[in-house]
Amino acid sequence: MSEAADIGEAAVSENPFAARRLGHRRREKGVSLVLRLAAYFILGCAFYIFIDIIAKGAPVVFKAAPPFVNTEFFTKSPETLMTFETADGVFHKMNFPEYSRFKEKNPGLEIVEEHSHAFSGGGIFGPLVGTALLTGICIVVAFFIGLTTAIYLNEYSSKGRFMDAIRLAIMNLAGVPSVVYGLFGLGLFCLVAPVITTDPKADALFTLRILFTDRYLSFQGWGTCMLAGGFTLAVMILPVIITACEESLKAIPSGFREASLALGATKWQTIAKSVIPYAFPGMLTASVLGITRVAGETAPIMFTAALSHKDKLPWEAADSLGGFFAQSVQAMPYHIYTVAARIPQSEYTKPMQYGSVFVFLLLVMGFAGLSVFLRIHYRKKIKW
Amino acid sequence: MNESDPTVAESAPTNAAPSFRGRGFRIFGLGLQDAIRYFFGGNASLAIILVLLICFFLGREGILFFPSHLRGLQDYRSAGQEFVDCLGEQIDTHTAFYSSANIAYFAEVNESSREEDEILRVVRGLLANTEAACRKSWHLLKRKLDEVSRMDAALADLEAADPARADLVAKREARQAEIEALRATLRTEAEAALAGKEVWKLGGDGRGLSKEDRERIREAVLFQAGPDAKEEHPWLAEVKKRSREKKASSSEGLVGFKETLKEIQDAIRPMRSLHGDLRKLAMENRAAINSYVTAPARRAAMLEGAAKAQDPAEKARFQAEADKVVLVAPDLVAMNAPFYGAVPKHGELSVALLGEMRKLQAALPEDGGNERAKEALRRSETLFKRFEGAVERNRGKVGQWRHDRRVPALSSLTSFVFGKQWITNSSWNDFYGLLPLFSGSFLIATIALVVSVPFSVAAAIYVNQLAPRREQNFVKPAIEFIGAIPSVVLGFFGIVVFGEALRAVSQIEWLSWVPGFPMTERLTILNAGLLLAFMSAPTIFTLVEDALENVPAAFAENSLAMGASKLQTVFRVIVPTAMSGVIAAILLGFGRIIGETMVVLLVAGNKIKIPDFSEGIGVIAQPAHTMTGIIAQELPEVDSGSLHWRALFIVGMVLFVIALAVNYAAQQVLKRFHKI
Repeated sequence: MSEAADIGEAAVSENPFAARRLGHRRREKGVSLVLRLAAYFILGCAFYIFIDIIAKGAPVVFKAAPPFVNTEFFTKSPETLMTFETADGVFHKMNFPEYSRFKEKNPGLEIVEEHSHAFSGGGIFGPLVGTALLTGICIVVAFFIGLTTAIYLNEYSSKGRFMDAIRLAIMNLAGVPSVVYGLFGLGLFCLVAPVITTDPKADALFTLRILFTDRYLSFQGWGTCMLAGGFTLAVMILPVIITACEESLKAIPSGFREASLALGATKWQTIAKSVIPYAFPGMLTASVLGITRVAGETAPIMFTAALSHKDKLPWEAADSLGGFFAQSVQAMPYHIYTVAARIPQSEYTKPMQYGSVFVFLLLVMGFAGLSVFLRIHYRKKIKW
Repeated sequence: MNESDPTVAESAPTNAAPSFRGRGFRIFGLGLQDAIRYFFGGNASLAIILVLLICFFLGREGILFFPSHLRGLQDYRSAGQEFVDCLGEQIDTHTAFYSSANIAYFAEVNESSREEDEILRVVRGLLANTEAACRKSWHLLKRKLDEVSRMDAALADLEAADPARADLVAKREARQAEIEALRATLRTEAEAALAGKEVWKLGGDGRGLSKEDRERIREAVLFQAGPDAKEEHPWLAEVKKRSREKKASSSEGLVGFKETLKEIQDAIRPMRSLHGDLRKLAMENRAAINSYVTAPARRAAMLEGAAKAQDPAEKARFQAEADKVVLVAPDLVAMNAPFYGAVPKHGELSVALLGEMRKLQAALPEDGGNERAKEALRRSETLFKRFEGAVERNRGKVGQWRHDRRVPALSSLTSFVFGKQWITNSSWNDFYGLLPLFSGSFLIATIALVVSVPFSVAAAIYVNQLAPRREQNFVKPAIEFIGAIPSVVLGFFGIVVFGEALRAVSQIEWLSWVPGFPMTERLTILNAGLLLAFMSAPTIFTLVEDALENVPAAFAENSLAMGASKLQTVFRVIVPTAMSGVIAAILLGFGRIIGETMVVLLVAGNKIKIPDFSEGIGVIAQPAHTMTGIIAQELPEVDSGSLHWRALFIVGMVLFVIALAVNYAAQQVLKRFHKI
């Protein structure tokens, strides 16, 4: 309707280039403003969450006096926090080991109003180490498989049924909920995956005797351990890594390959010497992106690797390399889940909650930022 | 392998032409290059293998789940538990009706003393708050008081002339002085705690109370804050007395109502006792059946123990244990005879119950005296209809029930998919019904989408079409950045900050028109839905933005050249062209939301019950459980290989299928509409 009116008016108006009627423009501006507000509303929510976590988390992690960082928070593992009052009305707050020492030292002490707060004392060293290990294993596995798959897809394969099947599989893998990966990891890596051992478990799926030795290849699973968790996570991010690696391979001009092949290099030599080196930055970005995704995941490691409490650090508890990887670990996201939902809440649990969330968020967002930075950096640097 | 390097190859003419070199080492006609090729191909096919493995591991549990689930259903029937639950449903619906009528009664009674009750409630809240605020000095004071009373006791024991007495008296004096000082501090602390405005909110906002009442409440709270306040503040005692008296007088007028309630309760007694007796029997039956089912395995375990045992005495013990295991099938006919015997009695009871209840329901007051009573009475009417239905239905069911009728194989599946109960670790019978979990997941995802789609699509349109370049370069990465926030962090935020904030907002009076407000719970469907909306916004935003980006520039140019304004171009040309991408984005966003675990596990409230839809959209204020949440919550605590464990795997399979379906649908949408 309004257009028709516009045209009619334009026809009689002396100046065909005159501005349209004001109401029309005002409406355009209004709608545009509404759309703009929607965008900023999303950002505002994010801003609020960040501010809340930083405001309450930073005081736990930093302090006013040198060295300005709460070292205990980064060097100790979570412990039970004890709060109590002695008979003279002095309030004490200490971690459990200190508390037992304190009690030993003052045997006749009358203690009133005693409370224990699980996981609220100590620091987050154990979970940090666990997350680093899980992420490390995951990236090594996922990067290896992802890179080789991407090379096959981009360099070797030709169109056909096999390719379609692979593409379909990758696409479907990308949509599977993370908790389903947890179930899958539990079913495959924890309960069925093969191990080489001298005495196989009775409930193994089946066992094979390795010739000329007293060892068996027993399909009894790895149990709940960091290796199982790392592999589960690796399966989960495989689609991300494959897609990203393929993108960066695609970005290499085909002239590079043609030139190399024309000079008589074999296919593999071409790939190794004149494709991968140039695609490497993109792959690096992909793996950093993968770390971001993996470090934040809780559901897949819940059944496969994570543990809420562990006294010893992984290298203190292991006696061999195999034993090292065969133990379960604490992990940051699982630790946050524990302190947020599985322990009774009190004012003394708050610092641990906010401190952990703050550090964790900082880490993950740091990696996310790094991946963005790398992408921009290399895009600027490499030009062909 | 220098010769492959182009620069070196050029400067080394002495090398033979590479292509004429020998064909190298081969096995079965496979050279090195082929081996490399197949190595890469093998790794690529891992993706297919992984999908197949996921299907296998989920499917295997499915294949194992349904037979044992069927077996469980059959046992449930053979033991007579199904029969007993028919009676149970009659009783449960009756209880629901009764409690609703009861609420109406008490709403009527308490109406008269509302003012007094409000005062008492406020006082209770304030007292709790003040006590929490001055806990420390309270304890200190108490300790000192105890000490003084101990001293008094000691003084009484001492002789008047004892030299220690003077010393003790002096000490007591000192303590007494300290006590006075502490009292003063306690009072100031209590006053400070009371001065805060929020305090009134904690104890009820004190709205509707007169100024004098508020002043008196303050007095009373301060009076009772100390540890040695043995008796109540006289004013409070008076208020309490008044409340009691008012209640008594108003209940006098409702004697008829009360009588009816009592009769309603009495009417169900015979049915209840019949149910109780049969329930016990059914439980014993089930135990016998279970023991028969596990008997061979137990016997085998004992025999294996006997075979492995070194010590002959131990061997004999194992053997004896194994012989003790009863392998005789329980006599189902004899076991179920009491149930068949109870059918006529149950029929009589049902008819009598229904007749009497109809009479009693008619005797209930038509209309309540106040809002709450009215509401409760209205609800009791619908509940009565439900009760009537349940009695009639179950009378028929009981009459036709046969313990040896085979449970159809398909019902193993249907009772899982359409089952209304998910009850595990129960001493009666475990039910694995998906509906409570599915409805929770679905509701949360719907809310998340309804909130998220407008915002993220609008944001994408703005950023892609309307924003200046500079703003684009800031807003786009910033929104994508949100996608990197780990879900457990959002869940934490929901539990610690957002839940409380949402509840506080829902208490605001002028927002009470919003369905479900005011909310009493902190962890609700709405809370989880809103957090997931925020979480899925970057996903949907990115995909929609991509779709808009892919619209050929010529479309916009043509439209603008025809004289359309910018907004007309956007909404009539570009968005319709990108519609397939938008729909695909929404679908994929749905897939992401329904598969999300940590936020719903932390925030949705984890109550395994089908949400009560009778309140319409108000259902969003209830807690719920979800498919992802139940896996994460229960799996770590279940024995691997048990029926419960497998049920959780099946829930995972349902999730997997939903994810695949959503993915497939999104692909189809893109494909169909992509031929511009």
